[in-house]
Amino acid sequence: MRQILLIGMVVTLGLVFARPAGAQESKPAAATQPAKSDEKADAKQPDDRGFVPIELKLPKPAFKGTPANVPPGTNLEPPRKGPRPPVLAPPGTKNVAFKKPVTSSDTDPIVGNVKMVTDGNKEASEGTYVELGPRPQWIQIDLKDKFAIYAIVVWHFHGSARVYHDTVVQVSNDPDFIDKVETVFNNDHDNSSGLGLGQDKEYWETYEGKLIDAKGVVGRYVRLYSKGSTADDQNHYTEVEVYGVPAK
Amino acid sequence: MSRTPVFVALLLASVALALAFRLPQLNLRPMHGDEAVHAYKCNELWQSGLYVYDPEEYHGPTLYYGTLPVFWLSSVKGWAQTSAAAYRIVPVFFGVGLILLLFLVADGLGRPATICAAVLTALSSPMVFYSRYYIQETLLVFFTFLVMAAGWRFTRAGRMSGQWSWAVLLGAGIGLMHATKETCVIAWACLALALAIVVLWSHTAPRRALVGVIAIALPAAVLTSLLLFAGLSSHLGGAVDSVRGYATYFRRAAGVTHYHPWYYYLQILGFVHYASGPTWSEALIVVLGAVGAFVALRGRAPTGVDLNLVRFLAVYTLLMLCVYSVIPYKTPWCVLGFLHGLILLAGVGAVWLLHVVRVRAAQVCVGVVLLAAAGQLGWQAWRGSHDYVFCADPRNPCVYAHPVRDVEALEVDVERLAAASPLGHGLLIRVVIENCWPLPWYLRRFGRVGYYEHIPDDADVDVVLASTKLESELEHRLHHDYEVTYRGLRRDEVLAVYVRRDLWDAFRARQTRAGTTATSP
Repeated sequence: MRQILLIGMVVTLGLVFARPAGAQESKPAAATQPAKSDEKADAKQPDDRGFVPIELKLPKPAFKGTPANVPPGTNLEPPRKGPRPPVLAPPGTKNVAFKKPVTSSDTDPIVGNVKMVTDGNKEASEGTYVELGPRPQWIQIDLKDKFAIYAIVVWHFHGSARVYHDTVVQVSNDPDFIDKVETVFNNDHDNSSGLGLGQDKEYWETYEGKLIDAKGVVGRYVRLYSKGSTADDQNHYTEVEVYGVPAK
Repeated sequence: MSRTPVFVALLLASVALALAFRLPQLNLRPMHGDEAVHAYKCNELWQSGLYVYDPEEYHGPTLYYGTLPVFWLSSVKGWAQTSAAAYRIVPVFFGVGLILLLFLVADGLGRPATICAAVLTALSSPMVFYSRYYIQETLLVFFTFLVMAAGWRFTRAGRMSGQWSWAVLLGAGIGLMHATKETCVIAWACLALALAIVVLWSHTAPRRALVGVIAIALPAAVLTSLLLFAGLSSHLGGAVDSVRGYATYFRRAAGVTHYHPWYYYLQILGFVHYASGPTWSEALIVVLGAVGAFVALRGRAPTGVDLNLVRFLAVYTLLMLCVYSVIPYKTPWCVLGFLHGLILLAGVGAVWLLHVVRVRAAQVCVGVVLLAAAGQLGWQAWRGSHDYVFCADPRNPCVYAHPVRDVEALEVDVERLAAASPLGHGLLIRVVIENCWPLPWYLRRFGRVGYYEHIPDDADVDVVLASTKLESELEHRLHHDYEVTYRGLRRDEVLAVYVRRDLWDAFRARQTRAGTTATSP
């Protein structure tokens, strides 16, 4: 009897410790369930170009739901129904920004440091983001080589509902962003940041981050601009991921 | 009274220091909702010459009457032309006036303690912050200190004629407190109780003096209050309403809104460190104030310090702290009432510390530590009031329920829309939100703005500013085509800015002329 009990305890302990770490976390509410498209086997099938969906690892949701319904004609992205459509890219596409050097227009951030932008930690908690000063600011990632970029994912700060203003994302081979600059995203609707009138919409920050389809644009440097948010005038960056393959 | 040149020079230097911390960049911080309300009420008085007390809101009229000279001395014609600085300069003068009033009690606190208290008043972070804030609190603290100082001078005046004038000033101070803010009753109760306790403590029986001061001060207080609530505006009902208002404030004190735990004020003074922000502490004042209270208990004060006055300040400060901590309704500016008492005690505490350490080298060490701590206070006060980020950031404990900077960008947006419209500032604007303040301030140049808590029937106008909480309902009520952008109002409140399509297109065309359209790959 004692042996049976002992075996039972060993098996139980084994089962408990064999569970992956994430399995112990509480399940998020249905309204904030992460997209599961990247988990589906059929979604990983290559398209006629041989492109496959980029797999994204998402942080835990920090607040529930999009704050408001968005009417048609709005300059804000409407809340998405269902999972986020995948961005397709050639096989072997990976986050080439991970641990790459970051510089910024604010050399003395209010909170954190720019290394946090590419450190892989995208949770909405203290110590995970850099807070740059007010008014327009930028961060720049040096990918250390030229890459064909298919997607850029940016998490400004998803700890509370907010909209960042004048988000502009550019790619270039010129570290000063003077020569041959490609703008892949611009939602500055009134050109108040001076980078041109943007055609893209503003969006609520969520745990999913903003996924920008870069359509294979080639470049070594990625620069992201912003000009405060509906919550304050500062510019936060929790994480930026740049998905690409080495340029031929 | 102490009038030696060095003492006067040091006290005036403290005034200059206080002005240097309070005067610059008065427009830096966005207008708080309460400030905007008071600016609006002041404008009503300015334009109509009539002040009508509302027993439900807004407090007394001294702040508004105190602002009128600023308008008379400037060339502005209406509130559309005023800036935040025109209003905020009024509490600046009262905040600095707290140092000038120290002249009246210098022979009770002693000259060194008076100078220490003056420097701490000049450098204390909440003192600096709320001296640049267009609300009644700094005025209330000033008038409370005026009452204390006049009372002290009354006790020191040798001749009857001298006592008479100080008693009148004391009474006027009480009337001014009443005409400033309803919470004056807390200060009155604490002043009276502290006086009674000190009389018992010191075994003095100033019955004749008390009767005399009441006989003179009471009519002065009533007359001052009547003049401000009713006389200047010929609105006699104001006097009755000023008493009726207490029912509202007793109800509010129960803490339906602005509920905070009992240690809220102690936390603000002791140590505050909100998420990833800087650390804030008035520990120097708290510690030195506690030493000052110890001096009162100990019964032996340093040379030149009147023990009864220190005892009075200690009891008054402790009572104020207890009463405000017990009341569930708490806002951070209420800290000023007992912080000022602590600062006066801290002056005594600092002098006692230097006095009790008899070794010269140790005295130098204590002096250096106190100077370094005062430097920390000053640096913190400067950061809290003059740093573009932290003067309006909730990580600063003095910043409370504050609008976000985006509200200033909203003002720019609407001005740009006006520039793109043939109507100019005649644009028709609807604001639909439960608490619209401080938007009336930011839209003060527009003459055709309607404010609603619920969506009106005729919501279809040039520009609609609506809480995002109302968007889905508004979507069904608007018939024209609109472009919508977003601006923050407060940390928890985002506004949807609806711009009618024709106006939006004109605005975009104007902005296009100002820059080039970005191209996407």
